[in-house]
Amino acid sequence: MIGFIIRRIGQAIIVILGVTLIVFILRHLLPGNIARAILGIRATPFAIAAFNRQNGLNNPLPLQYVTFLNQLIHGNLGYSFKQNMTVDSIVAHDLPNDLVLVGVSLVLALLIAIPLGIVQAVRRNKLTDYTATGIAFVLYSMPAYLLGLLLIAFFAVNLRLLPAEAPQASTIGGVLADPSGLVLPVATLTLVTVALFSRYMRSSAIDSLTQDYIRTARAKGLRQSAILFRHLLRNSLIPVATLVGISIPGILTFGLIIEQLFNFPGVGLAYFNAAVNGDYPVVFGITVLVAVATVLGNLIADVAYAVLDPRVRYD
Amino acid sequence: MSVLEIDGLRTFIKRRNGVVRAVDGVSFAVEPGETVGLVGESGCGKTMTGLSIMRLLPGGGHIAGGSIRFGGMDLAALNESAMRKVRGNEIGIVFQDPMTSLNPTMTIGHQIGEVVREHRGVSKEEAMARAEEVLALVGMPRPAERLGYYPHQLSGGLRQRVMIGIALACDPKLLIADEPTTALDVTIQDQILTLLDDLKERLGMAVLLITHDMGVIAGRTDRVLVMYAGKIVEKAGTGRLFGRTRHPYTAALLASIPRLDQPVTHRLYAIPGLPPDLADPPPGCRFAPRCRFATEECAASEPVLGGPEPDHPYACFHPIGPDSALPATEVVDRHDRAESGADSDLLVLEHTVKEFPVTSGALMRRAVGTVKAVSDVTLTIRRGETLGLVGESGCGKTTIGRMIVALERPTSGRVVFEGQDLGSLSGARLRQVRKDLQLMFQDPYASLDPRMRVGSILREPLQIQGLGSAAEQRERVAGLLREVGLSPRATELYPHEFSGGQRQRIGLARALALSPKLIVADEPVSALDVSIRSQILNLMRRLQAAHGLTYVVISHDLSVIRYLADQVGVMYLGKLVEVGSSADIYERPAHPYTHGLLNTIPVPDPEVERAKHGVAVAGELPSAMDPPSGCRFRTRCPLAQDVCAAEEPVLRAFGGEHKAACHFPLQTPAGGHASEVLVQ
Repeated sequence: MIGFIIRRIGQAIIVILGVTLIVFILRHLLPGNIARAILGIRATPFAIAAFNRQNGLNNPLPLQYVTFLNQLIHGNLGYSFKQNMTVDSIVAHDLPNDLVLVGVSLVLALLIAIPLGIVQAVRRNKLTDYTATGIAFVLYSMPAYLLGLLLIAFFAVNLRLLPAEAPQASTIGGVLADPSGLVLPVATLTLVTVALFSRYMRSSAIDSLTQDYIRTARAKGLRQSAILFRHLLRNSLIPVATLVGISIPGILTFGLIIEQLFNFPGVGLAYFNAAVNGDYPVVFGITVLVAVATVLGNLIADVAYAVLDPRVRYD
Repeated sequence: MSVLEIDGLRTFIKRRNGVVRAVDGVSFAVEPGETVGLVGESGCGKTMTGLSIMRLLPGGGHIAGGSIRFGGMDLAALNESAMRKVRGNEIGIVFQDPMTSLNPTMTIGHQIGEVVREHRGVSKEEAMARAEEVLALVGMPRPAERLGYYPHQLSGGLRQRVMIGIALACDPKLLIADEPTTALDVTIQDQILTLLDDLKERLGMAVLLITHDMGVIAGRTDRVLVMYAGKIVEKAGTGRLFGRTRHPYTAALLASIPRLDQPVTHRLYAIPGLPPDLADPPPGCRFAPRCRFATEECAASEPVLGGPEPDHPYACFHPIGPDSALPATEVVDRHDRAESGADSDLLVLEHTVKEFPVTSGALMRRAVGTVKAVSDVTLTIRRGETLGLVGESGCGKTTIGRMIVALERPTSGRVVFEGQDLGSLSGARLRQVRKDLQLMFQDPYASLDPRMRVGSILREPLQIQGLGSAAEQRERVAGLLREVGLSPRATELYPHEFSGGQRQRIGLARALALSPKLIVADEPVSALDVSIRSQILNLMRRLQAAHGLTYVVISHDLSVIRYLADQVGVMYLGKLVEVGSSADIYERPAHPYTHGLLNTIPVPDPEVERAKHGVAVAGELPSAMDPPSGCRFRTRCPLAQDVCAAEEPVLRAFGGEHKAACHFPLQTPAGGHASEVLVQ
């Protein structure tokens, strides 16, 4: 098991290195050059030459890549000339908010989707199942921003129950101090995620239910709850674990849209604004960060997979 | 008092296209301490009878009538929570496939302990102690250590022992064993059936043994119920059923099995047609459309289970008796070797070795070992003959078949077909040779493309090889279908519209399409029901005679090999341990492994089976990555001595072409004293 995790971490590092290389190349593929992109169209040749010298842009590319990597390893994601602050400080400010939004939504989605999928599988092709499947389909096929807008229209505008905007506090404590503002963004992200997960959980559980070992469990005279919890749950979670891992980039994308919609002060919003303003260092810094998050998510999914399924723990 | 008394049981399954009457008025009883055999082909309702007793019917299934008396209760009418106390506690059940019947994510100790906790309400520790006790009971080596194993860490035979352990953990009064050994190798089947017999004696329980195998029935049961199309058609004590068979279906079933103890000069009896659709069964006797004794009476009214002998009832108006028996089958058209250009070698394997590397590590693949699938095999296949390859799964027989048709290249050694080394060919030359080397597969369901019409499946080889015009190809396809006994209408249909036997005919027609010289048939009949099996075996023999074909038949079933093969090779763990004519192998086996295999095959004759004692081949197949030193069979051989571990035996001649690789052969090698041979 330990060996398996170490090997997977090794693979993850190589993937991340690949991503940094792509980001590095993208930086150099920018129209014109980096200095022009950052200093603007009217920068003097002298200013550009000074910028290049200052940032080591005259060095050979391999050396530049090593420098870039070295900075990344030391937690230096770059410097935003537009905002006149390091990308690190932008991320450090916004990231905790995202962890709350994405983390809470993900946990909620799993807590809802797993039992829901099992209930649907057990009551397959009955009213409960049809209803849940119908709702999941509507949610799944609805763009996240539309769902968010509908929730705002109903709960914030009509009922005036909840605020339409996320808390604007600058610290994580401040965000958590006003949880009512979190409800709608979290609900939107949870609902779209539940729709995805529950459909997989349902089909995985249906598949497990037809397996011979479930018949064996019934032949043992076990109660339905014991059959579902001891025999069905773990086996049907195996394919879902992988799904959760690979859907992390998708969920982050949903998060980006939702942050924009609710004016939620997260990395997604910072990313969006930076892209719109052509603030490339921020875009690249966050891209590396998201890549790391994705690789980490998959790593966790793989480890979860190995914990759930003894057959893949080959050491 | 009977342990189990079933009266007029009817089990229906609702399907989209109607109600399948899977079990239709079945009555029987099981007495304490006896083994009752329930035998029949797939779809006859034997499994549904077992599942009805446990009330574990699949979706859409329900008990529509009748009673199931057990321990003073009617299980058919019991509520779910009361039924739960019966399952696993008073009635245990063992299913066919131990690979899928155990939970892959739970240790076997837990899986056994769970039943004990459920029904005995004991603590976790007590349940584990019981699990260990049960594992010891079912013959698991080192039970305490195995408690923490997951199913995938055990072999098939050991998994089935765990399954039996689960069924027996609460000392049930009745054990239902539903095809408990069908998914296992013959040597393991023998071990498991012997274990079940032994446990029945020791625990004093009753056993309901459900199987399709008349040989298993003959050796392991006290009484037999024969089922056909949802009904019991004959029941009797085992000796009586085999000795004085009355129902034409039972008789036909017995006559259609290739047997080790009968001459192969006659064709197998083939039951015509297919079992009826149970959603719409025919009126009258359900076997009548396939029965050679059927009269108008049989089609008009239904015979009831009865007759003059109270302890041997049968449901038939025209029972088999002294004045009516199955006709002697015609003498088989054995091909004439001299005519088909005999004794010229068609294909020769020369010191063929095939090893597959086993790799580990997802990123940096490194070889951690090699599976020695085939180790130094030399064999000659003569034109117009059939070579049979037998052995347990994992012995390398399929790999040899794939090397013969050039789907696999040997790691070393040569495969020489008509003088050319197949390993040296490539591109167009290899494609040219492929025309002469064809393969017939085991699974008629998986080996035909479900989205291609049969006409296209049969034409494809002709198109690939560019043989003939479109019209000629169509004509050839029609001819092929005629030859394998299918209607020309079949060209327009898809594979799923055919039964298993018909699909296997299509598979054979596809193999024949290019008029090959050699066909490798890998387990050609093991996926088929007994009555269908004989149709295909007869067809294979007829086609061989008509076309002078050469066959390599690969099978774990020694009786099938005996029916088809002229020459037989016995393989064990990648080695050819014995080779010789069919008579050499079956009448004068020299290798202890061959001898053991022959003894493990259940023969459909109670007297032969009862005469057998103990387990013929003990233990399990060692790993092919790290085979035993010296003789690979020594770890399971009753005759093994020190020299067997130290020195690898070479193939020695035993007269004619009979060769075996053993230090202590059961026959005297050629050049030994003639008198010893006579003693043998």
